[in-house]
Amino acid sequence: MLKTFLSLLLLISFSAQAQMDLCNPDLEKQPVQAGGRVKPLYVLAEETIKFVTGDSKVDNLSATDAFCKLTLKAFGMPLNLPIKVKVDHVDVRKFLGMDENSTSIAVDTLIGKVGEIETELAQLKENNSYKKELNRVNQRLRTYGAVVEARAWTVPVQKGDKLDFVPIAEFLTETRMKEAKEKSDNPVKYALNEARELYTRVQGDDYLLELKYFKWNLFLWAMLSAIMAILLLFGLKNKTPGLIFTALSIILQVISMTMRVMISGRAPVTNMYETVMFSGFGALIISCIITLYRKEIIFLLAGLAYNVLSLMMMRFAHGMLDAGISPLVPVLRDNFWLSTHVTTIILSYAALALSWILANAILIRSRFFEVSSKEYRYQADLIYSSIKFGVVLLAAGIILGGVWADYSWGRFWGWDPKETWSLIVLLIYMAILHGRYTSWIPAHRFVALVAGAFMSVMMAWFGVNYILASGLHSYGFSEGGAIFLGSFFAVQIAILLIGTIKKKA
Amino acid sequence: MNNQIVTYYKKVEFFFGNLKFAVVIITLFAIYLGYGTFMESYHGTEYANRLVYKSFPFMAIQFGMFLSILFATLIRLPAKKHLYGFYVIHAGLIILFLGSWVTYQSGVDGTITLAPNLPSREIQINEDELKIQFPAKGREVSVNMPYVAGPKDLDLEYEGIKLKTFLPFSEDKLEWIPIKIQEGSQSSSRYRLYNENFGEFLTLTLHPLSDFNNTMKLGLLNVHYMPSTLAPCFSAENPEGLIVWNGQTQDCLAPQKKHIKKSKGMGGKERFEIEFDGKVLSFLPSMSPLPLNEKMELNENSQYRIFSKKLFENSAHIFVFGKEAAYFDKETKKWIAKPIELNGEIDLPWMGFKLRLLEHREDAYPTLSPHYIKPVQENGQVIMGDMKAVQVEVNGQTFWVKSQDPIAFNQNGERITFRLGKKSIVLPYELVLDEFKMDTDPGTSNPASFESFVTLFKGNEGSSKHHIYMNNPLKHENFTFYQASYFQTQQGPFGSVLSVNFDPGRFWKYLGSLLLVLGSIWHYFLRRKHIQKPGVTRA
Repeated sequence: MLKTFLSLLLLISFSAQAQMDLCNPDLEKQPVQAGGRVKPLYVLAEETIKFVTGDSKVDNLSATDAFCKLTLKAFGMPLNLPIKVKVDHVDVRKFLGMDENSTSIAVDTLIGKVGEIETELAQLKENNSYKKELNRVNQRLRTYGAVVEARAWTVPVQKGDKLDFVPIAEFLTETRMKEAKEKSDNPVKYALNEARELYTRVQGDDYLLELKYFKWNLFLWAMLSAIMAILLLFGLKNKTPGLIFTALSIILQVISMTMRVMISGRAPVTNMYETVMFSGFGALIISCIITLYRKEIIFLLAGLAYNVLSLMMMRFAHGMLDAGISPLVPVLRDNFWLSTHVTTIILSYAALALSWILANAILIRSRFFEVSSKEYRYQADLIYSSIKFGVVLLAAGIILGGVWADYSWGRFWGWDPKETWSLIVLLIYMAILHGRYTSWIPAHRFVALVAGAFMSVMMAWFGVNYILASGLHSYGFSEGGAIFLGSFFAVQIAILLIGTIKKKA
Repeated sequence: MNNQIVTYYKKVEFFFGNLKFAVVIITLFAIYLGYGTFMESYHGTEYANRLVYKSFPFMAIQFGMFLSILFATLIRLPAKKHLYGFYVIHAGLIILFLGSWVTYQSGVDGTITLAPNLPSREIQINEDELKIQFPAKGREVSVNMPYVAGPKDLDLEYEGIKLKTFLPFSEDKLEWIPIKIQEGSQSSSRYRLYNENFGEFLTLTLHPLSDFNNTMKLGLLNVHYMPSTLAPCFSAENPEGLIVWNGQTQDCLAPQKKHIKKSKGMGGKERFEIEFDGKVLSFLPSMSPLPLNEKMELNENSQYRIFSKKLFENSAHIFVFGKEAAYFDKETKKWIAKPIELNGEIDLPWMGFKLRLLEHREDAYPTLSPHYIKPVQENGQVIMGDMKAVQVEVNGQTFWVKSQDPIAFNQNGERITFRLGKKSIVLPYELVLDEFKMDTDPGTSNPASFESFVTLFKGNEGSSKHHIYMNNPLKHENFTFYQASYFQTQQGPFGSVLSVNFDPGRFWKYLGSLLLVLGSIWHYFLRRKHIQKPGVTRA
């Protein structure tokens, strides 16, 4: 009923030019409320289109443009955007009658299969990766439905003495359109501008910082700078250009993280994306400190290498790391403990990551090149330097976690899988450090054990969330996190095997 | 003698204090912990606690760790300057272990459930107990259940009541109990009702001791299980649509076979008068299945019932009689009665449903008996096996007391109640939940904060108001109350669950932790001794 009314109203009041005017780049700054936060429409559009299609563009249209045009469908605009819904799981593709190699399905075809999907979901008892993906496809379809029914796009309005948000389908009322038409040829654009002004008058325009954060994409530039720094430090005898690019990368990351902190209002360590980001940055900073302390450039190279790996994961591992900023669950809403406990743990992982890079480097080097036993022992001592940082920070982080848990829940320790795995990591490194003073762990075993021990860090960091949380019977190996972790373990074990097999004389 | 003791002590000190023992015990501890996290993932927190974290082998490993730390310190005495950091780390660990032991021995970790505006002073702790109440004697006995992960024989007896087996995790399974004395129709049947999208097992019985019923509601479909002697009355042509049922002889008849008098009763409703054994009974079937007595009141003692099939024609009802079934077909406007063979099936006129007879018993009745299973966790929730049960024998009869259901039993004419639940501690003061508030993130239903507004009543000392929310607990007389969870009452308002904690080892754990961190910094960073880079010589 509402849709019919709006369609008629808009077809009368909307000229074709006005439609084009509405979906313009300026719309990116429109404040919307979604997922419990206020953000620019640009961010919502990017998140939504990427979630539904797996890409930020639709038929060469920007995400905002596509989102706007899809919303106009609710008002009867004859638009024909080729929206294709992303399908990751091979079995789900088969179920939907897709070609196994095809990664997406036309939304209209998928809408015709809603009944079948719902029935299949109702029949599936085990919450395995197939069911999860089918649920996700269903969710993507619902998200698309919310966009084309003009429910996803919300607009600020004054309700009594409060500022509230309503879906755009409710916002474009007859009265509002009549009033706007008296003042402008394009009443919809006029009304939306008024709504934006209302919001900035009451709440200010701080929300626009998020637009700059996502548009500037400073992490990409930081990654390129770090890569340049590695190349220059390796390639040139003069280390100054390499150090300048290192500093540039650090500055860009500091700016980007500061922006993120200002947007979210909390320490940048609350989801997987942020922990990867902070560990990469932390490793670079710790490597700079140890480089100064040990006067050894190899630490800086290891820090840069790990930093680049982290930035690459942030850029390319969308299936596993979500760059979006979401509200926190109530118990985590304590900035003091977030900033101390979680950052300490992540910094410890960063320091242990340095030892992992150095250990793998010497393993591979000694396998393919001649490394003297003196050099080997020296390299083992360098690894020990970064482990020292790692274990002290990890012990402090675990204890801070215990104090936070005691303060929030009344128990210092509860054998929760995350805290238990942090303790396992500490115990593994402690066993290696103790063993180093016995005849059991000479330098070559120490290096191999340190390279392997980082698998426990990955288990504590990713495995608890992606393997233990999903339940072992479902394993979830088709899901991003588990695939990544499985691949990591496979590659690490392969390096260990290659590195520890004795060379033929 | 003294020398022997010293030699023996030195051996013990060397065994526990040497680095190889430390490596072995640390590795063992880490492996056991890893196993615990996988068990937690498969089977839930409680199972992991019972199997691993609070088990004897795990305690033994921790004790081994303690000995390793203690003797590693003692073996390195008298103190050496370069080991100061090491001593501080190990002293911190010893204090941390002792603090944890004090918490384990004397601490309290439980929950208090606050329904809105109702006083509460009972803290439930995570230990199970069986309460046996003798109301006539005004006595109550509590028996602690063992903290185990698997089934445990109890072998306990109290005043002729035997406690046989405790199951910490169980799930009900269907069992058939032989019927000793046949009294009328006590048959039971199992069916499978299914179509392309849905399937459900139906277990229906007429036996009064069964855990199952004789009716089931599945969405809009109602299933009624009746004695087989009623079946002919559903299939017989019966224009009035009335069936008279004789509860004593278990048979039925269509009233038109008798000489029925039909007249208008109270409020113009149809009244039937039927003669039985020389007596005339009056029924108002649209009001009640019971006959009226001389005073025109409903006679609940009568063996006769009357009911109108027409009441079941407008919605989906199926009547099953063991090996027969009847339903009203709206298309033909007729009651259809069909036989169902064992393992055979009939088509039903609703959404392509079929009904298959799986089992039919006259000699036994179905009941649900708990069987031990390892609990199953999915998405952080235990979905199977969260029921506890204890097997009890009274007067030679064995039955199960389940954690959800208290049961009552008669022993020599005395009523005894059994209740299996959590152990509790009673506080010397009361808490009342004045209000529970939950804020959501704007525009969503995701909780942003939970808050409990409570009044603490301290008897003669008066009362005080408190506001408890995440990261803001209430501390009172050594106990700390934390916002943990919430629930909605049947009346609508929310209740609150607070976790309650008393930790006498807290100070020692904090002190130990502080020493551990400071000692680590001292040990690892204040001793700067590095291997020289090959090819570089000292100046």
